[in-house]
Amino acid sequence: MFLAMHMANELLSVPVAGLTLGLAALIVLIASWLARRTLNPERLPLMGVMGAFVFAGQMINFTLPGMPGTSGHLVGGVLLAIVLGPWAAILTIVSILVVQCLLFQDGGLLALGCNIINMGVVPCLVGFGLYRVLPGRIETTRPWRQYLATWTACVIATAAGAALVPVEATLSGVLKIPVFQFLAVMVGVHLLIGFVEGLITFAVVAYLRQVRPAALGLAKADTGGGRLSRSAVAASFLVTAALLAGVVAWFASSYPDGLEWSYMEHKYANADSAVAGPSGLIAAATAWQEKWSLMTDYTKRAAPLGELPAKSGTEGEGSGSAVNPWGSLAGILGTVVTLALVYTAARLLRRRTPAHQH
Amino acid sequence: MHHSHIDRFAHGDSPVHWLDARAKFLAIVAYTVVVISYNRYTVTELAPLAVMPLALLWFGGIPTWFALRRVLVLSPFILFVCLLSPWYDRAPQAVALGSWRFEVAGGWLTSVDIAVKFTLGVLALTALMSTTPFALLLEAMRKLGVPKMLLMQLGFVYRYLFVLIDEAMRVRRGRDFRSAALAPAGRRLSAVGGIIGNLFVRTLDRSERIYTAMAARGYTGQYHGLNILRFRWHDIVFLTAAAAYLAVCRWPWLLKS
Repeated sequence: MFLAMHMANELLSVPVAGLTLGLAALIVLIASWLARRTLNPERLPLMGVMGAFVFAGQMINFTLPGMPGTSGHLVGGVLLAIVLGPWAAILTIVSILVVQCLLFQDGGLLALGCNIINMGVVPCLVGFGLYRVLPGRIETTRPWRQYLATWTACVIATAAGAALVPVEATLSGVLKIPVFQFLAVMVGVHLLIGFVEGLITFAVVAYLRQVRPAALGLAKADTGGGRLSRSAVAASFLVTAALLAGVVAWFASSYPDGLEWSYMEHKYANADSAVAGPSGLIAAATAWQEKWSLMTDYTKRAAPLGELPAKSGTEGEGSGSAVNPWGSLAGILGTVVTLALVYTAARLLRRRTPAHQH
Repeated sequence: MHHSHIDRFAHGDSPVHWLDARAKFLAIVAYTVVVISYNRYTVTELAPLAVMPLALLWFGGIPTWFALRRVLVLSPFILFVCLLSPWYDRAPQAVALGSWRFEVAGGWLTSVDIAVKFTLGVLALTALMSTTPFALLLEAMRKLGVPKMLLMQLGFVYRYLFVLIDEAMRVRRGRDFRSAALAPAGRRLSAVGGIIGNLFVRTLDRSERIYTAMAARGYTGQYHGLNILRFRWHDIVFLTAAAAYLAVCRWPWLLKS
């Protein structure tokens, strides 16, 4: 949601703030020049009314299924880009951000440049680009392809914009949080936010397809109905899971977790004896696990299957940040296996529907 | 939603309200630049900077709870960053408080520093916006060279914000009264899509009508400013005092020379 993503003044240094403000001003000039090619110059100010619409649209919340108490709502960048075109959308978002900064003090005055780039320029251009490229011709595309295109555009556009925040903060030198950790958190969270936004944006696009197809550039109303098929939603869940497991997991910390740390640091008196001299059963189980696990420690096995690995010291501490293909494979493999197990269990445990249903 | 919700104190009557909007705007921009120009380990040097926003709020008659509530509402992201800093920056830094000297991990200093800068920034911006009606602020920005197209857009956002938020709240109330929360997720989603899509279509049509109405009254794309801002002696005094104050805060050695 907007509140989470706004960049604050205080995370920027004066040179970076000035640079981003200049860059944003330049892009806005270019956008208004390009927008004049589709809109009359007199109508450009009316983008402001669309800006007010985005504020209003953000009040309509959608309670997420299965998570009572949380609700998502539309951020609106990609939706605006889809219906107004990317340049007019950028102008609208600029006016929204300025009003948010001035009237609601949301987002700092000097961070406006960063916010315009992170939440306006990048999502609108990336979202619009993906939306146009993915489904082919808009007029003849099937609803599920349009859904996937809209949803993908939202997820990637939101994550791309969010990914710039750690970059700008690090360039300013204000924070000492390592870039990759910050990136992982921001991108991970915004993939999920983008997921919800993709759902809502698709619902709006489906409605517009039926009621006002001219707004989407379609010739006539689509009588097929923009039904969201279950398989399309399932596909989008899978892609999000794959992205999280395969890519965001690269940035997972390799520091020990709480439990490991407590006994490695010898915090508990009885832990030493248990860890140093495990009973025969535990030692045998550990050896068996090391011999037969397919991907020890989420990476390539050190020894062939069926043999114990050679003893090596504990891995160096630190957070992984390099591209780690074995880690991705491990993550995705684990996700697929878990999915298969859960699905099988669900099928087996499913109650048979009664033969006579009224 | 009446504009008084947002511009609640902006039409008041106080010395700060009488100041020219340009002077206030420039002062607050300069203040923000000075605040973020300190490096991440400064905490004690920020203390004198608190005087300006607090003084403006005090003399403007803005209640403290109002300003502090703004800070609280906007703080989650900053809090997240502040809580993470001590984790990553353990290098000890020396801190001087008067004649006390002690050492503290750098991360804690950064946390406090960012939190303080954030609070000061929000307070300053609140001081500006609560003592200046939005229309006057747009006029000030026009005099300072902000492109007229952007100002017209901002004017439209401000004008139609209340209208459209009212509409959205009414539709949402209607949806909630129809037990929308009990519907299955798929139907809830298409309801949300329908509502937002409907709002969008209505807004498109409304902006068409607005344009037609304006054209019928002679609108050809010109922007007509209010032309009521005048620089008076108290504005010049305020600007000079603010500049001197910021210079002394940022470069304390000026006081010694």
